[in-house]
Amino acid sequence: MPGTLQLLVWLLCTLFEIAVIVCALKKGVFRRYALLSIYMGASVVVSLARFRVLTGYGYTSSQYVYVYYYSDALLTIFLYFALANLYAQVLSELKAERHVRFATLFLLAATALFSYGVVHEASTRLISRFVVELSQNLYFVGLVVTYILWGAILKMRETRTQLIQVVLSLGVYFSLFAADYALRNLYPSMRSISIPLQQVIGCFLPLAWAYTFWYIPEDARTVPARLATVSR
Amino acid sequence: MSRRLIVLFLSMLVLVGAMSLKTVVATHSDGSVIMANGGAPAPPTPWK
Repeated sequence: MPGTLQLLVWLLCTLFEIAVIVCALKKGVFRRYALLSIYMGASVVVSLARFRVLTGYGYTSSQYVYVYYYSDALLTIFLYFALANLYAQVLSELKAERHVRFATLFLLAATALFSYGVVHEASTRLISRFVVELSQNLYFVGLVVTYILWGAILKMRETRTQLIQVVLSLGVYFSLFAADYALRNLYPSMRSISIPLQQVIGCFLPLAWAYTFWYIPEDARTVPARLATVSR
Repeated sequence: MSRRLIVLFLSMLVLVGAMSLKTVVATHSDGSVIMANGGAPAPPTPWK
């Protein structure tokens, strides 16, 4: 069974996720960020299910392991579609919704196919291996796609502060996880720090989104700084 | 038609970039996986 601190961080994280939905509803941006809110709602439901299985069967039980990794894959897919929705919003002026939809589905299918290619020779637990692999690969696809979206925001001179903040926090969130993962692999002796840190990082995204929805008005505008050019 | 091909090409480019990044990050991996959803404590992965 995880320690009190781990359970406390988990509870805090779930409360932040609920806060995102409440803030989105209260500030009237739920429809605009529907997929983000649905992702947060799914996270809350998954947290409850994981807690139920954890208390019922135990931390090292195969039931908890299966529920954890299968639900993680599901949440990663939700997050991926939420990201696609952000793309559609940023590229709305180009009337590229159809292309974004097509690219989203194609990339998801290609990632699934690639993941299957990696695990298809495994003789046991093929589906479970596939689910974990897909989740991993989709996570890295999400990371790259978020960085590209950052670039698109700068290039297109997107001014909607709320949208910018949502995308930036998503990029920071992905980057923090990748840094934590790299740290864990480079310095195995730091596992005792990096694994609990992973839980704390998990709270960042719901906290950042809740803050954005609550404090930044929908019509707030920010002008991204121009790149400095040196005259010759 | 050509725009659709460009979208396909860019999607493949993203996939290649993402898998390259994964390879770089997980070069010295001990088999642990990266999990980025929620604050639940991650259990060990028996099938990795």
